[in-house]
Amino acid sequence: MLDEIQKLKEEATASLTGLRTQEDTENFRLQFLSRKGSVAQLFEKLRDVPKEDKPAIGKSLNELRTFLESEFESAQKKIAGEKRADTGSIDLSIPGRKRYIGRRHPLTKTAEEIKRIFTCIGFGIADGPEIEDDYHNFEALNFPPDHPARDMQDTFFVKADAGKYVLRTHTSGVQIRVMENNKPPVRVIMPGRVYRNEAISARSYCLFHQVEGLYVDKNVSLAELKGTVAYFAKEFFNAEAKLRFRPSFFPFTEPSAEVDVNCFLCGGKGCRICKYSGWLEIMGCGMVDPNVFKYVRYDPNEVSGYAFGMGIERLALLRYGIDDIRLFFENDLRFLNQF
Amino acid sequence: MKISRKWLQQLVDLTDISDEDIAYRLTMLGIEVESYENLSGKYDGFVVGAVLEVEKHPNADKLSLCKVDIGREVKSIICGAPNVAAGQKVPVGLVGAIVPHNQHDPEGKPFELTRAKIRGIESEGMICSESELGLGEDKSRIMVFEADAATGTPLAPYLGLDDTVFDISLTPNRPDCLSHAGIARELSAAFSRKLAPRRIRFREEGAPVGESAKVEVSAPDLCPRYSARVIRGIKVGPSPKWLKESVERIGMRSINNVVDATNYVMMELGQPLHAFDLKLVAGHKVIVRRPQSEETKFTTLDGKERNISPDMLMICDKEKIVAIAGVMGGMNSEINDETTDVLIESANFSASSVRKTSKELGLSTEASYRFERGVDPNLTVHALDRVAEIICDTAGGTLAPGIIDVAVGKFLPRRIELHVDHVNRLLGTRLASGEIKRVLESIEIPCGKKSETVLTCAVPTFRGDIERDVDLIEEVGRVYGYENIADSFQTKLSFDTRFQEEGAIYDLREFLAGAGFNEIVTNSLQPADLAGLHESAYVTLANPISEDMAAMRTSLLPGALQSVGLNLSHGLKDMKLFEIGRVYRVTDDQQTVGTFLESDRISIVLSGTADPMSYDRKEAKFDIFDLKAEVERLLRYLNLDSWDFISYDTAKEYEQSLKLFVNGMELGLAGRVSEMTLKKFSVEQDVFFAELDLSKLLALRRRTRRFKGLPKFPFASFDLSFIVEDKTPVAKLIDSLRSAAGEMFRDISVFDIYSGEGIPAGKKSAAFSVALGSEERTLNDNDIAGFIEKAEKKLSEEFSAELRKQKIV
Ligand SMILES: [Zn+2]
Repeated sequence: MLDEIQKLKEEATASLTGLRTQEDTENFRLQFLSRKGSVAQLFEKLRDVPKEDKPAIGKSLNELRTFLESEFESAQKKIAGEKRADTGSIDLSIPGRKRYIGRRHPLTKTAEEIKRIFTCIGFGIADGPEIEDDYHNFEALNFPPDHPARDMQDTFFVKADAGKYVLRTHTSGVQIRVMENNKPPVRVIMPGRVYRNEAISARSYCLFHQVEGLYVDKNVSLAELKGTVAYFAKEFFNAEAKLRFRPSFFPFTEPSAEVDVNCFLCGGKGCRICKYSGWLEIMGCGMVDPNVFKYVRYDPNEVSGYAFGMGIERLALLRYGIDDIRLFFENDLRFLNQF
Repeated sequence: MKISRKWLQQLVDLTDISDEDIAYRLTMLGIEVESYENLSGKYDGFVVGAVLEVEKHPNADKLSLCKVDIGREVKSIICGAPNVAAGQKVPVGLVGAIVPHNQHDPEGKPFELTRAKIRGIESEGMICSESELGLGEDKSRIMVFEADAATGTPLAPYLGLDDTVFDISLTPNRPDCLSHAGIARELSAAFSRKLAPRRIRFREEGAPVGESAKVEVSAPDLCPRYSARVIRGIKVGPSPKWLKESVERIGMRSINNVVDATNYVMMELGQPLHAFDLKLVAGHKVIVRRPQSEETKFTTLDGKERNISPDMLMICDKEKIVAIAGVMGGMNSEINDETTDVLIESANFSASSVRKTSKELGLSTEASYRFERGVDPNLTVHALDRVAEIICDTAGGTLAPGIIDVAVGKFLPRRIELHVDHVNRLLGTRLASGEIKRVLESIEIPCGKKSETVLTCAVPTFRGDIERDVDLIEEVGRVYGYENIADSFQTKLSFDTRFQEEGAIYDLREFLAGAGFNEIVTNSLQPADLAGLHESAYVTLANPISEDMAAMRTSLLPGALQSVGLNLSHGLKDMKLFEIGRVYRVTDDQQTVGTFLESDRISIVLSGTADPMSYDRKEAKFDIFDLKAEVERLLRYLNLDSWDFISYDTAKEYEQSLKLFVNGMELGLAGRVSEMTLKKFSVEQDVFFAELDLSKLLALRRRTRRFKGLPKFPFASFDLSFIVEDKTPVAKLIDSLRSAAGEMFRDISVFDIYSGEGIPAGKKSAAFSVALGSEERTLNDNDIAGFIEKAEKKLSEEFSAELRKQKIV
């Protein structure tokens, strides 16, 4: 019996090496592995084997079946694989099909980065109207009527109601609205679109986007403003960013400052972008003027606050080294696909 | 504003301080130096030379061979100018010098002088023309200096150019710095250098000034102070070299010795002055008043006739207007060559009045610029003394004794109490009372000690911007130095539900970018006709940059088409774009601001090939179903599960268009943009565009759908197709099938719409793939057969539909 098993194994193995087509494999299956095949016949014979020999012969018969099934399976796979490769020579070097790649606008990416940095330290986000009344855009921000400070921002006026409404020149009106509607403390940033009536050029556009921030609470100081801005600059630019606060003037803050970051393009040695000064202006800021608090009925003896504002376009220009602000609004795919 | 270092040097000693240091410290004091230029560097290698001999070049008729003494040695120089002659003092450029302007180069680029042979003879330098030095127009002749020019003197100091000019940009709160004296005051604080004492020398003679002229101020509300002096017997002529150079150095035109003197004093002290020809002032009387009703025109000294309005302040004589107060003088009383007697006005006018007048006239002058920001009322007399000194020096004449001075009262320092702890609380510093006092006194604000913790500060009248303690705190911070205030970052974290942002917008952007859309950002200012296309009540601007940007957008479509057009013009034809932006309109109701309503929109743009550049598949252009697919995908992303698209044919800007409704609420439009609209933007391929109301969309979205257990039993999926009338809407068939399935309904999609061979004319076959399921068991063949029977009956009744075939998978 064991001799028969060995013989069948040799016969089947030889037969396996000769398999070429699917027909061959089917014949092989019928001959050896089917219900009436040679292996099955041997199992039939097992019935007649003496009881004491059954375990040994049964074991070796099972081994034969497992062996042949697995050999047969791999032979089958091999033949199927050969057949696929035969059905046409596919050039796998052909590039994959092109698909659309979408991207967020660089201004969006920059704004979202700024939002992330400030929300991480507890700032909320507020929004407001772009068509604003004179009161919220100027008066409550301590721009007296007929004051030269109004010339600092070239303003678009809405035709209806002769000069009563403007396209906001900054998002500072939202500061007023936030304070009008909320008791201190308040800590918010205000991203949004603002307008300036300036000739369109590589350096200026009729609109741009700002993020302003406001923090009013007990004992908020200029030192705290400096520390917060330094945190922002390190997060947004790099950990080595050096800042410089220069005194400046805004009607709604007192004291006021302009913030410069050391030029990361030339390392402070001076280049075309920083106008050879080694410094890049990034934001204006200051301590909220007590007159502004009076307009929103906050008590300047109780609370103090800081405010800051930066241009998203300006920061994006610096960050990506873009030299023409108009590119942001043309939506040239060759531009958009770079971010 | 331009500031000359040489001029500053007369007011404060800046010896040994570099230009760079001056620029840096001013900037750090809030007086921004935009740039500065050391003028002497321009003429390195140029000297004053004396021409000793001139003879003809042996090989060229038009050239001369010159021997020129340059101080240390004599150079031989070839010169082509016809006017060269022995004995002249001339500008000489030596080998290595950079000649600022090349007369033979079309662009006039500078060039370096080299040792050169001209027609066989070597020239060791060059005698220059005005044009070559960039000092004037004359190119045909060499420049010839005064005979007393010292031979060998470097050119820059000879021309008075051993100077540095700082270009300063001032914030509107610092009119006190609109002069050399003001800047000098800041520098004196910055570098702890004493201001030079002011010594003015003049001699008064003859009858007192009151006998020569009278001043009457009948509008003291607009003119708090009017001071004047009279000088008789002057001779008007060109200004001497120092005066001409000084005013030209800072960018003003030299006119004559009288006008230049008034300008000089304005630039030195900050007080605008005006000189009248006294003989042309009728009755020798100056009257400061508002115009009378018949006075509506006035010709200013620039020769332009101006419209006068009743609120403006005028300087008049007994008969007529002679000047617009604080803005500009008139032709009728201007200094001219025949003038002998002058009245110098040194007045203080109301800032807001001058500003209004200047705005209304569209005329801004150095004088109006200063008045509208505020001039020190205590400066009028000092400025008159200074200008009298200069005019008497340069134009002769005798100064009438005394000053006419009409004022509403005395102008005293403002007293402000400053609490030391307030300073420290606001700045975040720990300054002692003595330190604060020292800082303020360095900028001429004397402080007394009211108590250990309170200072009483006397703010001089030249600092009109300092009105409150907080303004003094700014001065303390500014002069102490922001860089000396240590950063503090002790922000306490908090969570404030009042200011939470709509996070879904961020998600939407990410989603759309992932779906292959590029985000665009477009101008919200548009031509009025485009704004009017989508909304008749659009917002227009009173002062647009141009007609192209005269209105606020009412739709995101025009901006999108502009972007499509731009890309097409660059040969980029395939695009998927989206924008999130605002549109604006006027409503009938009160809104947050006026009646203006701003709403946020989201737009989707498809144009070109749906599946760009595939080597083996047919190119498929985007169509309306791609657009629907993208809109539906967006709705699904927001967890909405039912919506309706209703055909809508009245939109002018679309040719195939659909209105989208969710829960009965209209969300926006989607469609193929009409040829007519595309033409306006020179777009020559189909554009599919959808624009939805973002706020409504976000309000409708399902935020936190609770988790629903997964189906326990597999769905049964099978295909069905029906033959129906061509015009039967497929969406209606779907609705019917859905209702026929009832609770068993799980999903349905259309996989084929066919008409033609095998289908009767006027009919179409619509094939659906349907999935049914149950929560209780696996559906069997009977359940499905039951459904098909029900569906066949229902569709046959409703649409006369005929079941074509079915296939159970
Ligand atoms: Zn740089």
